[in-house]
Amino acid sequence: MAPPRNCESSATRRDCLRLGLGALMGGGLVDVLRARAAASAATGARPTSCILVWMDGGPSHYETFDPKPDAPAEVRGDFRAIETSVPGVRFSEPMERLAAIADKLAIIRSIRHDQGNHGAGNHYMITGAPPRIPVGCGAFVSFHPSMGSVAAHERGATGGLPSYFSIPSMTRSGGPNFLGARYAPFVVPDDPNSASFRVRDVAPPGGLEVVRVDDRRGLRERLDHFKRFSDKSAGDPALALDDYYHQGYELMASPQAQRAFDIGQEDPSVRDHYGRHPFGQRCLLARRLVEAGVPFITLNEGGWDHHTSIFDGFKKRVPRFEGAIAALIQDLDQRGLLDSTLVVVLGEFGRTPKINKDAGRDHWSNAMSVLMAGCGTPGGQVVGATDAYGYAASERVLSPENFVATIYAKLGIDPAKILHTPAGRPTFLVSDPTPIRELMG
Amino acid sequence: MMMRFAILGLAMFAAVEAAQAGEPKAPITFERDVEPILTRAGCNSGPCHGKASGQNGFMLSLQGFDPTFDHIAIAREAGGRRVLRSAPEQSLLLQKAAAHVPHGGGRKLDPDGPFYETIRRWIADGLPRTPADAPKLVRVSVEPTERALKPEESFDLRVTAHFSDGSSEDVTPLATFGSSEATAVAVDANGRARAGKLAGEATISARYEGLFANCDVFVPLAGEVSESEYAAFPRANFIDDLALAKWKKLGLTPSAVAGDATFLRRAHLDVIGRLPTPDEARAFLDDPAPDRRARLVDRLLQRPEYADHWATKWMDLLRPNPYRVGIKAVFNLDGWIREAFRKNLPYDEFARRIVAARGSTFEQGPGTIFRDHREPIEIAPVVGQLFLGIRLDCAKCHHHPFESWSQDQFYEFAAFFTRVGRKGTGLSPPISGSEEIVFTAKSGSIKHPLTGAVLPPKPLFGEAPVSDDPEADPREALARWMTAPENRYFAKVMANRVWGDLMGVGIVDPVDDIRATNPPSNGPLLEALADDFRGHGYDVKHLIRAITASTVYALSSEPNGRNVADVRNFSRHYRQRLRAETLLDAVGDVTGVPDSFDASPPRSRAAATWTNRIPSLFLDTFGRPDANQDPPCERTSDTAVVQALHLMNSPGVHEKLTSDEGRVAAMAKGDATPKAIVEELFLLAYARRPDAEEAEVAEALFRDPQKPRRAAVEDLLWALLNSPEFVFKD
Repeated sequence: MAPPRNCESSATRRDCLRLGLGALMGGGLVDVLRARAAASAATGARPTSCILVWMDGGPSHYETFDPKPDAPAEVRGDFRAIETSVPGVRFSEPMERLAAIADKLAIIRSIRHDQGNHGAGNHYMITGAPPRIPVGCGAFVSFHPSMGSVAAHERGATGGLPSYFSIPSMTRSGGPNFLGARYAPFVVPDDPNSASFRVRDVAPPGGLEVVRVDDRRGLRERLDHFKRFSDKSAGDPALALDDYYHQGYELMASPQAQRAFDIGQEDPSVRDHYGRHPFGQRCLLARRLVEAGVPFITLNEGGWDHHTSIFDGFKKRVPRFEGAIAALIQDLDQRGLLDSTLVVVLGEFGRTPKINKDAGRDHWSNAMSVLMAGCGTPGGQVVGATDAYGYAASERVLSPENFVATIYAKLGIDPAKILHTPAGRPTFLVSDPTPIRELMG
Repeated sequence: MMMRFAILGLAMFAAVEAAQAGEPKAPITFERDVEPILTRAGCNSGPCHGKASGQNGFMLSLQGFDPTFDHIAIAREAGGRRVLRSAPEQSLLLQKAAAHVPHGGGRKLDPDGPFYETIRRWIADGLPRTPADAPKLVRVSVEPTERALKPEESFDLRVTAHFSDGSSEDVTPLATFGSSEATAVAVDANGRARAGKLAGEATISARYEGLFANCDVFVPLAGEVSESEYAAFPRANFIDDLALAKWKKLGLTPSAVAGDATFLRRAHLDVIGRLPTPDEARAFLDDPAPDRRARLVDRLLQRPEYADHWATKWMDLLRPNPYRVGIKAVFNLDGWIREAFRKNLPYDEFARRIVAARGSTFEQGPGTIFRDHREPIEIAPVVGQLFLGIRLDCAKCHHHPFESWSQDQFYEFAAFFTRVGRKGTGLSPPISGSEEIVFTAKSGSIKHPLTGAVLPPKPLFGEAPVSDDPEADPREALARWMTAPENRYFAKVMANRVWGDLMGVGIVDPVDDIRATNPPSNGPLLEALADDFRGHGYDVKHLIRAITASTVYALSSEPNGRNVADVRNFSRHYRQRLRAETLLDAVGDVTGVPDSFDASPPRSRAAATWTNRIPSLFLDTFGRPDANQDPPCERTSDTAVVQALHLMNSPGVHEKLTSDEGRVAAMAKGDATPKAIVEELFLLAYARRPDAEEAEVAEALFRDPQKPRRAAVEDLLWALLNSPEFVFKD
């Protein structure tokens, strides 16, 4: 297992600036990361984690973090731009609680790409690699490991917990691809807002003595004569199942895991603060998993594909949604966890400038807004900009590769690393491993 | 006047100049010469000016599918600034493309290159359109169409456009290229294909003006395979011949033929989705007759479970959400599909009855599909994907970017559904309990969303004449066209679905996405399967019999040194996890404790549940389509840690192992010897007898004085269920 690594607490600002240049300077980045990992091991600083909130469908940049109050009405939409806690930075009206903590947030307004459908856009943003061949609308594809799977592969977790959670479901391309099933997300579909919430099947069924559990485990191993094809290029699914049984046993034996899952231990006022609804309690569960040492948690929150009625849609769901994220960031901050926890909020792309005939906006990958906070990300800043009416990223234009490289760098993973597929093909973790320097602190 | 003179003068000058340079060139015209350059340079691609709203005010049709629109956009819009005939180099079109002025897309044309010069001359010549009577592009070809390469070797493709007057032209510089598997064989923008470091294969697609041509490239495994080794492969039918032909190209050698026990379990799970009973297993394993495998499949095809197993697959594709469409309507559709498989309704008839469905949703099953999909533009892509493997969704809003389907074709296809009449009560979710009657309306039409033109029903290719009789439903014409022998797609997609179910992966994958840019792994095999299926009256049971009779189907999953990396050419069997329903039924059969499902008759099997809204933690854990999700028919066959945990620890499985009514309790109470119990359990779970070592480990449990007999049986069966041999079809 990799030693604990830390992005922020042991690195100087100059180190982080060098990070941005690392790709240009060849080995520089690797050296920085290595030095930092060694330093954090020495100081015992917390390892970094990432909570990625995936707004499936593709949230509008206009109605979130890139309002265009001076644009014509058919572009501007129904909402006002509101002031935030940072002078000169304005969010769209629904982002009320996030606006109040804008000093903790960095907003990137200038990531763009060229994948206009959900399957392809999710793949690009969640893996840092564009889909290799044209992908049909709505497809679930995987050509490259997702960030969560890479984090699991590179970082591992402690205490028998899975190292990558996806709650309540996996995003379209959130899988491990060639890294293998061991690095697939652990999915918790159950609703933590429900009084009867428990993570299913992680303890032996009622009344079974420990000795029986152990007996069965041994018996299973002695009786299993099913042939395994160990050459990875054969893609034997039985090997994946072996991994899952191994993980299952680790999880059952892990007191940290059982404690993290027990959301009922949380003070009721804290639970209220996140909001007594499924997404709010999932945010809280994510924080508990971070405390237990899980490096990567995806919260997959669908319903942002606003081809119709975007303003009503936002009014209905955004207050709870953005309130829960604000609560999460504040709570992490108060507990001293924000320095080591990266919170990221995004979807597959932005939305079209002109409001369509159904009062909606369509897919638009020329511009999007991404929120980042924590893990040494300087708050109160906006990176890049779109043009006057929000048609396209126009200043400091950034790619999904830059975005993904930033997250890897913060997690102490070298984005220039070369992985090998089961067939032996060398593959860059990220083809352009340059992180977004403004976010590196 | 002066202006026109100037233009004319310049044009003449350009012509004179060209003639002087010794280039007697045909006039440069828009459709033939300029539009292909815009496509090649990516100007009209989806992310740029080709998207529905254009880019920074300059909008072109996606991939140049509407030249008239594009010509107007270039010649007349923006106050004519885009083209300056008097000074072509100053035209915004060239200034931007060459990045002489800031351009969001960067430099797209080299100002010293031939494309730039062509457009410059075209502007100077006065922006001529290609005459309407000019020869039309009819076909694109690529040379070579097949090529074997050594690792890291490369070659150049040559793309030729063929015109209606018989002329042809090398359009390689104007073509765009893509690889189906870029890591095996990559292709660059100039059409140079280059093999990767490892053995593999890829199809290179060349695209010119919306038409495609493919070249299959093989990078065979190093080393020779002797002809005699291939000759020794026992070929049972045409499937074996065609699979073998492909293996030879790649230097693959097939795995050994699987043993009887493996075949028995595989065939049972594939054909009826149910494990053999111990008695059935013994009878087959002890049967010395040489044709026992074929007779097994014949017997299975007669079993009632056959219909439920295959109907469930179709329900994945068709089954609407009862909270939207109504319980009775969905129940009727489910029953109709099961009945169709029970009667072995010929597949063309099955499709016809769905596509041209009429009648009450309370009496007729298929009408429910039209209750669910209410607009022509909703049902058209469903029919295209289900029965033709053609995905039309993209063409609803714009020209299909990776195929040749246009928006016109989408609406013409949808026009077949414009006379679907409905009476009764429409949807009223969340109950929608009322009856609705689907009938042929007297009239109905559809308009192109951009041009407003009323479009007549027209199939995607070929002819489907619609009768003038006002009583005749255009859907009947569509069904005739779909199921006609000339329609290459119809039989192919079903043959491919069934092949994918039995073999673990489709010849085309995903199974219902047939397009030039998603080529089959073995085209001749897919064609032959489709021909055989069509030639036998679209008999699904015949199709299953043909596939299961092949040696290819019977191969072991165990790889050898020359096929370990083969995941698409069927030189070994690919293991599959049992689908959720099959696995749950298997757990029920083995433990002797079936599930009890809401809204179903007592002792219903999971394969017989009529809606995915019937609650089951087990089925949810192992994956079934969620009608509330988009797309709803997604079903995953992956394994996951929650599945392992569910088999290990779930109260549901535990209850089946410990029930007083179950097999474990009965065995514990009975007087069978440990040896007999162990054999029975192995036959139940794995369709084979235990080997000596397994028998010893298992029987030792019964000698443990600390362990009651019932606990021994429970633990043994738990261990058997929690093994990959149980969870996978080998």
